[in-house]
Amino acid sequence: MQFRLEKRREPSKVMVYATPVAAVVLTMVVGAIIFSLIGYDGVGAVREIFLTPLTNSFKWQDLGVKAAPLIIIGVGLSISYRANVWNIGAEGQYIIGGLAATWVALATHGMTGWWILPTMFVAGMLGGAAYASIPALLKTRLNVNEILTSLMLTYASVQLIYYLVRAPWKDPMGMGFPQTRIFSEAARLPTLIPGTIVHLGVPIAIVVALIAWFIMSRSVFGYRMRVVGAAPHAARYGGFSENKTIWLALLVSGGLAGMAGMLEVAGPFQRMVPGFPTNYGFTAIIVAFLGRLNPLGVIFAGIVMAITFVGGEVAQTTIGLSSSATGVFQAMMLFFLLAGDILIRYRIKRVVPAAEVRA
Amino acid sequence: MTLSRRNVLKAGAAAAALPLLGTKAFAQTEPLKVGFMLIGTPNDNGWNYGHATGAKFMKDTLGDLVAEPTIVENVPEGPDCERVLRELAQSGHKLIFATSFGYGDYVIKVAQQFPDVKFEHATGYQRSDNVATYNARFHEGRAVCGTIAGHLSKTGKAGYIGSFPIPEVVMGINAFVLAARKVNPEFTITPVYISTWNDPAKEADADRAMIDQGIDIIAQHTDGPAALQVAEERGIVGGFGQGADMAAFAPKAQLTSIIDHWGPTYVQSAQAVIDGTWTSADRWPGLKEGEVQIGPYNESIPADVVAAAEAVKNGQIDGSFNIFTGPINDHTGAEKVAAGVTLTDAELLSMDWYVEGVNPPA
Repeated sequence: MQFRLEKRREPSKVMVYATPVAAVVLTMVVGAIIFSLIGYDGVGAVREIFLTPLTNSFKWQDLGVKAAPLIIIGVGLSISYRANVWNIGAEGQYIIGGLAATWVALATHGMTGWWILPTMFVAGMLGGAAYASIPALLKTRLNVNEILTSLMLTYASVQLIYYLVRAPWKDPMGMGFPQTRIFSEAARLPTLIPGTIVHLGVPIAIVVALIAWFIMSRSVFGYRMRVVGAAPHAARYGGFSENKTIWLALLVSGGLAGMAGMLEVAGPFQRMVPGFPTNYGFTAIIVAFLGRLNPLGVIFAGIVMAITFVGGEVAQTTIGLSSSATGVFQAMMLFFLLAGDILIRYRIKRVVPAAEVRA
Repeated sequence: MTLSRRNVLKAGAAAAALPLLGTKAFAQTEPLKVGFMLIGTPNDNGWNYGHATGAKFMKDTLGDLVAEPTIVENVPEGPDCERVLRELAQSGHKLIFATSFGYGDYVIKVAQQFPDVKFEHATGYQRSDNVATYNARFHEGRAVCGTIAGHLSKTGKAGYIGSFPIPEVVMGINAFVLAARKVNPEFTITPVYISTWNDPAKEADADRAMIDQGIDIIAQHTDGPAALQVAEERGIVGGFGQGADMAAFAPKAQLTSIIDHWGPTYVQSAQAVIDGTWTSADRWPGLKEGEVQIGPYNESIPADVVAAAEAVKNGQIDGSFNIFTGPINDHTGAEKVAAGVTLTDAELLSMDWYVEGVNPPA
């Protein structure tokens, strides 16, 4: 209760937006120190992980491709979390979206036509939204915690991939490997910049974030989400139905996760494989928080996360840093961000001598 | 990015970007940079450990001719591996080993963009001018393990944890049960596919479930020792190390192990690139060449069983014994290979049927 009130009264917009930046900077500084202490080239690790992906123009395409799904899913989650609806199962909705799009691609295999990709796009969103409607139904009808149901459904969706690619959808030419055939040309996302891997999903991610930002800040829908999350009692007095909000939050976040699934399967993968789930849905949770649950912030956060992934591989090839180091850096970033949030709140809540805060 | 990458490369300007990576441009006189892309981490003590050990063997053998090998771990079989392959190629690696089956499409794709870089794909089947494939005849080792299993199993039932039902894996299952049934004609095996190369929790769960159903021998075609650890804990007859000696994890349960010795093949490839004699080919050595080795036998195995296992091993080394020589029936009992006929390599590499004694997975 006090938290919420304090947050509302919080006047320093600067601090709110400064914390994520501070978290990134702190991660770099502390990371460099820790890795130096345990005998690695700490400064080199930070340079390779955080700077090389930005300074080497060859890496920009990778950043865009890696950030796109994180941004799309992260935007959906930020809307949902704003309304205090904790959809943890974006990974599952992403998978079902990818499977729905795959179904369209296989059903239209060998055909041509401009309508195939849009149909896959719609199927992906519907698939993700439909899968997110299960936790919505359970929450609104039976009051089952959506954190548990959405998370557990993720594991069910992974099994569904395994089933589909092993039997009904198996590639007849795949040497028995459980995967679908490569999609026809008409079911693959076009490459935007010739000679690179940048596909249509990258600009779509930016557009999605901009639209979401506009809706969240300018529309009744956005207002409803924010009020329900920030002050549920006030929202109830104001006549906003809680159940309706839960439905909206899950359908929107599920639909966007499904969209990301479609873009991934039609873009980088171009076929469904058992390795399709690559934790984008879970990583996007960090992205949503790092982006301050603000769609514009999510763009920034998605790029930062993509940098750590791409940079982590650079660090492996150039200075032999273990892949686990990437995970350490990502976790540190989230830790500093959450710690920073709490410090901001406390500093404002109690008017205490500066000495105590420092201690 | 107004220029496409391909044009940039053609112009030879790629080297200009390399200093940004903190590395020097590759020149003929410098040691050869060799990259390895692994699906797991070398500390799995199995498949990936085998490749990392091979990388070290290459460095130790060739010394200053090669740079310290670059090993990229935990690379998933998907678009992420394409990025890693490009990263390795752009940072001056002239020989790149991709060591998991699912990297295939991406190796072919990236290799087109870097015609002066040689790629070698382990366990794959797609080749091009600068993409070679290599594998090891693991199934020869499976025949040795199957012989031991046939002798020692009390229930006559074995479980087999597989990753994916691809020919390489199916071949191993078939070789194992063919060898076991030469000893015990009632021997059966049940494969379970877990759709990943490395997930210790899934491997252990599958193992436990099968032990509950009465198997007393476990074999696995996944990367780590999880299945053996469960075998040790449950006290069944035992299992086999895969990729490396796993006795440290299951001193009682590991009956023997199939050890992959990739070192010599890595030395050979690196030397060929240095000499400029590298050509795209498919290499498939086995026990005879020493790429597949049988580890120490557990001291609990009776001497006559060890002798039988050694006979199978030596027969395959001197060529007098081939596990895939008929008569072989398929799992329905219909004759698939006539007496005296031996399956060809091509037939093995497209094997999608189970021999008699396999309970095919649903």
